Amino acid sequence: MTFTPQKRPLKSPTGISKFLLVFPGIVFFTFLATVGAGLLGTWLPSLGYLPAMGKTALTLHPWTELFKHPALGGAVRSTLISGWGIALGAFLLSGLLFAMNYGSRTWRVMEKMLAPILSVPHAAFAIGLSFLISPGGWLVRMVSPELTGFDLPPDWVIPKDPHGISLMIALILKETPFLILVMAGALQQIDYSATMAVGRSLGYRPAQVRLKIILPQLFPHMRLSLYAVIAYSLSVVDMSMILGPTTPPTLPVLVVQWFNDPMPDARLMGAAGATLLLGMVLGSLFLAYLLEKAATALFKWRMANGKRETLLSPMAPVGRTLLMGGMTVFILAMVILVLWSFTWRWQFPDILPERWSFRFWEKSIHALGPPMVKTLLIGLASTIAGLVLTIGCLEYESTLLEPHAANRYKKYMSIIYLPLLLPQVAFIFGVQMMLTWFHLDASATGLVWSHLIFVLPYLFLTLGSTYRSFDRRIMTTATLLSGSPMKAFLKVKLPMLLRPILFSFAVGFSVSVAQYIPTLFIGAGRFSTITTEVVALAGGSDRRVAAVYALYQQLIPMGIYLLAIFVPKLMFMNRKLMQR
Amino acid sequence: MPLELKQVQITRRGEALFAPVSLNISPGETATVMGASGCGKSTLLSAICGSLSRGFTLRGEILLKGRAINAIPMERRNIGILFQDDLLFPHMSIGSNLAFALPAGMVRHQREKKVTHALNQAGLEGFEDRDPATLSGGQRARVSLLRTLLANPGALLLDEPFSRLDQGLKGQIRAFLFAQVKKMNIPALLVTHDPGDMAEGPLIDLTTHR
Amino acid sequence: MKLLLSLPAALLILFYAALSCADGWNDILKEARGQTVYFNAWGGSQVINDYISWAAEKAKKEFGIRVVHVKVSDLGEVVSRVLVEKSTGRKDKGSVDLMWINGENFKAMKENRLLYGPFTNQLPNYSLVDMENKPTTLFDFTVPVDNMEAPWGMALLVFQYDTRRIHTPPGSMEELLALAQTHPGRVTYPAPPSFYGTTFIKQALLELTDTPDALNIPVSQADFEQVTAPLWRFLDRLHPLMWRKGKVFTKGAPGMKQLLNDSEIFISLSFNPNDAANAIANGELPESVRTYVHRSGTIGNTHFLGIPYNSSAVEGAMVFADFLLSPLAQARKSDPEIWGDPTVLNLSRLSPGDRALFEKIPAPKASLSQSELVKVLPEPHPSWVEALEKAWQNRYSK
Repeated sequence: MTFTPQKRPLKSPTGISKFLLVFPGIVFFTFLATVGAGLLGTWLPSLGYLPAMGKTALTLHPWTELFKHPALGGAVRSTLISGWGIALGAFLLSGLLFAMNYGSRTWRVMEKMLAPILSVPHAAFAIGLSFLISPGGWLVRMVSPELTGFDLPPDWVIPKDPHGISLMIALILKETPFLILVMAGALQQIDYSATMAVGRSLGYRPAQVRLKIILPQLFPHMRLSLYAVIAYSLSVVDMSMILGPTTPPTLPVLVVQWFNDPMPDARLMGAAGATLLLGMVLGSLFLAYLLEKAATALFKWRMANGKRETLLSPMAPVGRTLLMGGMTVFILAMVILVLWSFTWRWQFPDILPERWSFRFWEKSIHALGPPMVKTLLIGLASTIAGLVLTIGCLEYESTLLEPHAANRYKKYMSIIYLPLLLPQVAFIFGVQMMLTWFHLDASATGLVWSHLIFVLPYLFLTLGSTYRSFDRRIMTTATLLSGSPMKAFLKVKLPMLLRPILFSFAVGFSVSVAQYIPTLFIGAGRFSTITTEVVALAGGSDRRVAAVYALYQQLIPMGIYLLAIFVPKLMFMNRKLMQR
Repeated sequence: MPLELKQVQITRRGEALFAPVSLNISPGETATVMGASGCGKSTLLSAICGSLSRGFTLRGEILLKGRAINAIPMERRNIGILFQDDLLFPHMSIGSNLAFALPAGMVRHQREKKVTHALNQAGLEGFEDRDPATLSGGQRARVSLLRTLLANPGALLLDEPFSRLDQGLKGQIRAFLFAQVKKMNIPALLVTHDPGDMAEGPLIDLTTHR
Repeated sequence: MKLLLSLPAALLILFYAALSCADGWNDILKEARGQTVYFNAWGGSQVINDYISWAAEKAKKEFGIRVVHVKVSDLGEVVSRVLVEKSTGRKDKGSVDLMWINGENFKAMKENRLLYGPFTNQLPNYSLVDMENKPTTLFDFTVPVDNMEAPWGMALLVFQYDTRRIHTPPGSMEELLALAQTHPGRVTYPAPPSFYGTTFIKQALLELTDTPDALNIPVSQADFEQVTAPLWRFLDRLHPLMWRKGKVFTKGAPGMKQLLNDSEIFISLSFNPNDAANAIANGELPESVRTYVHRSGTIGNTHFLGIPYNSSAVEGAMVFADFLLSPLAQARKSDPEIWGDPTVLNLSRLSPGDRALFEKIPAPKASLSQSELVKVLPEPHPSWVEALEKAWQNRYSK
């Protein structure tokens, strides 16, 4: 018998891989087109090109106007101070808290609270926090006048202080839990208990093992999220409007003000300001990259200096206090919203309202139907579409078994993280322009699309590592057993991944719920969601209504998180391995 | 209905992992491929069952029941595989795990009967509704094997299926496995690095087979 | 009760029948039926939102128009959206049908030809507007209205104070400074370029400058330094005595209302003379708050309704604007329990029945009497706005 060698090497045993290529294809090109058009639609006006207003000559005038603007210097300064303060603060705090307290009871309590804490939208948290910490706020009321002697609120410069310190502290509080969540995800990628055993058997204290051995291993998994925190901190708008400095405000707020200015020249200057902000973010990311390199070199010998004791161990109580304090602030910020939502009249220095009322909840029930339904529908549509694309892309990746191909693919696909690393104001106006061209503005499609751009990166971020570490042999076994890759995928892989998928769904959903600028600009006001209502009311004087709406804004994602936690628990009630 | 390998060789970027392998395994017989870890024996099994990674190239011919299966997608090759881990699906009961392997088209009653029958035969009476996580290692290994066999494979591949079992269990499961292969009268191919695992059929040592 | 409510409605319909002698309006009414009007209006006040939803329900019942209130936090957003639509060549099917507008936004939209019109002379109720005694219904921040926007309500800069903290309210900017000296940290004003802040600065300038006439001509023709020097001297003295030592500012009257309720500050401001009464009725301010104006008078203006050039429902927007101008809607709006926004109508031109709607509204004690409201100062030429804002930012917002 003669044997003829295969002429064509067999690359893919099935056609599935080719079919799956559709998903990364869609994602890659539409993301490229959207972000590209968005940036271009901002850059051209910054060079004086905006044919709408008869501006067609290319000029540097918007830039000279920008640099001449009196508010620019102060805005750039407070943006950089608060932005870098937030990024460094959240990073160091999450790292130190992890080293000091991981595995303790406080830590476990905190891990349970992580999902509800993360689901709190930034705007709602900012409103609650400002009710809490301002000089006329609840904290001062609790101890006045008995302890402080204040019959009138003191004239302290918080919040909205000129350097953005209150904004910084608020965002550190909000971003640290996010980094801790990312850390918890990264921990699944390494063998924590084995590493801990090795470290301790060499005589290192647990905190020292976490600091010297575990954290350096976690960092590569956290880098992208940390970059996202840096970019976000430098370009946050809604929280800065509520807690940030006022004269001048931070640069992103200033840019939005200029974009909203009816004078065309202000819009051009806004485009230049947005581009400057983009430059500041990119520069900061590069600086972070350099800092990482420098830190690696600097700490190389310290890692191996043999010191087994650490100050962190005796400091564990400090860490616990910080953790408890942080959680307490979140709880109080929510409680104060609840109190205000039931208030009729409440004056300083009363600890509780003088008169209560259900009226604002009653009224909201009539008014809230449509925005609530819209919020849910837009959130569901964008998150479900996002999940289908994410799973399609990850499934395609899982057919690329060769590490080289997979790495190259991942490099190309990292384009989806761009919306996390670019300031929203630096491209959303360009996107709006593009969608208006295609008559997709004020349409559900356009709006869902614009949400998808911000939801998708978070879906990848939260689902990616679990999905990638799924045991391939299970799919092989299931395919061979059932004779159908589709059946193996639907009946085995998806249900086994149900918990991470639902969790990532909840994250994506709450990202969609919190979108303000895209909803406003792309939705053209046709789609009022709970968030556009909250921000509109936050600009008004009525704390009670703002509190009611902020609570609604908080309850929707929290409900979804709870579902994401309990649905798999109920579905797999008697399956021990599925409960972890 | 033998499983035949004709001059089978796997290359990666033009470099062969081992010299061409030829094997002819008769029904009811279990052949052994030996080799140290990293010699490509698991890759060989991937090639046979059709889950060979991209970047690897298969040369030679694999025949099942006289038919070349090189180009057939994994799910239509009718081959069963057992790994060193039992890989029971944690979200399904023992009964569902087994029923998953049964061909479609049977009514529910029939499926339940088959599952019960298989469990009884393996000394696991009444395990239908149990959570896989609550079984002992030996029990799980047996369920895993039962599941593979319920799919009615034309050939069975065994990727170090005993390496996670302790010495006492190992003998038990081995005997159970080889008995099932005989009974179903299908060819089986075992890869292992442990000479103690060897079956009585043909033997190839990939380490010396360069 | 039902009869009482339906009576004005019936009168209204009669009124329409009488007025719309021209077929034009009937055609517009016919066209409007079934249209959806996206009304873009500031959404920061629950009181106003409630009023708009009342009006929307009426419009649905009487004219078959569906009105959707798009709640906006800054009207500039809407202007910029219409601008984008124009830049992409959208001539119809725009996303905005009717908008609440005045001042700078109106000027920008008019100059960039973003408005539909002239249209107000087609509105039957427009003839009831008090153009003789309320000149700001014809000149929006001195820019001629030219029938491109329909007057909706009157605004007047008024101050509010807490009688528990202050016995006699200041009657001028100088007295305000004196008050800040005796109560340091308890006075503030909103930061320009917010609408409220800029108005406060203009008010201060009108009171303090030696050459008030210069404010009526374009800023480029005046000696800005000389005219404004007293203003900056005043602010330089005021700021260190202010709330947060002048380092933090609120964005507008809503923020100041919260601070007044918390007793962080003792004096707030508003564009609505009935605002304090409304806020007391609504639980937002203590009963002890009262309204006052400076002796020399304060700046007044009018807010309007405009239709973008590419509105998808021009007829619907016109019919709804006309309804908002009707005595029924205007009377309800001017009720301090509802909103308290003063009417643009000339009461003497109304039928006795319609006039009764206004007359039965009680005057609350937290508001100002008509006699206190007489002296209205005109807005300076609009070119002063940008120059003042820039100069202010140069000095205080670095």
